[in-house]
Amino acid sequence: MKINILFTGILVAFISSVSMAQTAQSEAIRKSLWLNYENTTLDSINGKVYYEQRIDRNPLYGLLEMRKSLANKRFTEYLPMFQGVIIANYKLGPKITASVPTLEEREKQRIKFLPHPSRYKFDFWIQPEFSAIFGYRDQVVQSNTSILLQTQFYLWQGMVLNAGILFPITNDKDGHEKIIRPAPVFLNQFFAFGKNFVSASAGYFYNDQYGVNVQYRHADMTSPLSYGLEAGLTGKYYYAKDGIYTGPLEQLFLQADVAYRLNRPDVTMKLSGGQYLWKDRGVRVDLIRQFTNVEIGVYAMKTNNGSTAGFNFIIPIPPGKILQGKNARLRTADQFRAEYSYTRGFQIGERYRTGYQLDQKLRQYHTNYLNSQRE
Amino acid sequence: MNRNLTKSIYRLVGYIHIFNTKKGNRLLPFLVFFCVSSYSYGQMNISGKPGLIYVPTAVETKNGSFIFGYVHNPIDYSFRRNGQHSESTYYINLTIFSRLDINLNLMRMNGNIAHADKGIGDRQLDFKYLILKEKKYQPSLAVFVSAPFGIDNSFTSNAIVATKTFKFTNNISAQVTGGYGSPYYFKRDESEKTNYNIFEGLSLKNKKDLKYRYLSGPIGGVNLRYAKKGGIMFEWDSQHFNIGAYGVLFKKWTIQAGVMNFDQITFGTSYALNLKSLPKRLKQANEN
Repeated sequence: MKINILFTGILVAFISSVSMAQTAQSEAIRKSLWLNYENTTLDSINGKVYYEQRIDRNPLYGLLEMRKSLANKRFTEYLPMFQGVIIANYKLGPKITASVPTLEEREKQRIKFLPHPSRYKFDFWIQPEFSAIFGYRDQVVQSNTSILLQTQFYLWQGMVLNAGILFPITNDKDGHEKIIRPAPVFLNQFFAFGKNFVSASAGYFYNDQYGVNVQYRHADMTSPLSYGLEAGLTGKYYYAKDGIYTGPLEQLFLQADVAYRLNRPDVTMKLSGGQYLWKDRGVRVDLIRQFTNVEIGVYAMKTNNGSTAGFNFIIPIPPGKILQGKNARLRTADQFRAEYSYTRGFQIGERYRTGYQLDQKLRQYHTNYLNSQRE
Repeated sequence: MNRNLTKSIYRLVGYIHIFNTKKGNRLLPFLVFFCVSSYSYGQMNISGKPGLIYVPTAVETKNGSFIFGYVHNPIDYSFRRNGQHSESTYYINLTIFSRLDINLNLMRMNGNIAHADKGIGDRQLDFKYLILKEKKYQPSLAVFVSAPFGIDNSFTSNAIVATKTFKFTNNISAQVTGGYGSPYYFKRDESEKTNYNIFEGLSLKNKKDLKYRYLSGPIGGVNLRYAKKGGIMFEWDSQHFNIGAYGVLFKKWTIQAGVMNFDQITFGTSYALNLKSLPKRLKQANEN
């Protein structure tokens, strides 16, 4: 009898120690997940959590890991933000549902944003850039390859200064100096009202263009149809040993597009058209497939300068975060974009890039995309 | 001084937390990042499509399946400069929708290449559409089409193919494939220097004018498989009879080799991923 009690006691002690070890472990996981987030506001009265997660391009990571990190059933509404601006209000049921953030929610976040310095980490990321032309006999690949060390400074809600250092690796595509120079430096204002989103940029962009670029998009995270406008006025720039050279602001870039997201097959069709760089005008059709971490698209276009087709993809650069603490982080870029065109030269439908494309950013937040990954 | 600096960095960072401390995590190669757990069909043909040695099969590939690899084509069976250079083909095959595959391949000639033949290589875009999925009595049926806007493609895949699996035991099965390769193909009479309209100059050509008539006429073969671990293959590629074998390591990595026409050796390797399956990290969070 005594032995029996003793044995039961040992068993109970053993089981409880195991379960304690497990809670300690899951507690540690929760804490480490929590470090991924910035600008977090917990509204426990209304069961809402506002947060920003810059490590992963796919917002499903932020949503699911926030739920795991909170481990509290009281929080039912998740409001992910981009540059301090709420994208949508999500509920995580068997299906993820979304609604447009209310004015009250936006206001709450705006007030919270003001004492911002402590709400964000110093975020540094490593980003490769590569562009190439194929096909000359004596030099088969002419490429520009560089590694960028990038960061962002949050100035006010929605407003970010992007800056960094560019380390050139190869440059035989153009005659520019191979010098360590500033990475594209530009301001970006992100703004949302109802189902409307605006991304406005000014500064020195990628692909040697400087100037201003404004993108507008109407997008509902639950409806298949979205449309947008884009306008830019830019000119050429490059760095030489003795400074920066800029050409006149002569490139007017004007685009309008309509996109429709089919559920079965899971694909986004996008029809766009307008004026591209070098005053080329035409139309373009894109078919875009969003996988978990990878986005792949095929396109065809017809412009004054000719017609072409090709494909593009967006992949994250592994391993993601490298070092992370409460106040600072070093990571690899959450996205690397590349496009391959069947023709080279001829300036068919060319464009430049700012930090992100608004349509590409927003389609990541569509509920059908989020739900398709959980099937 | 140095210590002070380190201290202040520590203060700035808060505390440094190094991730990927789990053993082996750091060694994860580039593409494993996209993560996969499901098996994808791994044996690939000469242009990087699920298939036998030269012949593609109509086997259904899983939605999101992403396979990349390399294959060597011997000198006397090469496409571009037959009898002069053997060839290396690098490829990507993506099942972008459950019935549609996109195949990209880059073919390069090996050895010292004449100046006029220099370049990045032949780039080709091919599609596979699965018309019928395999059922108990119904074979799978697929059509292969090469993008018609190539200007310098040495080999194209325009074919219709049916495949049926016969199971003998739990582990041993035979995948039988039969089909027909079109003797005609599209080509654009164009040079790289004036290639600004991909729909211009399209003309229909006969494969009999090519150095090697790849998939021109009746094609077929069989893949005798042992579980999902490997198999041996016999095929008629419309020109020759070929024999091959392959093995699958770690469910994702395929190594393959074959003998063309009892004469020369072809070999290759491929790695299969699935872009649709959830990475481990997300799977764990989803279960919560």
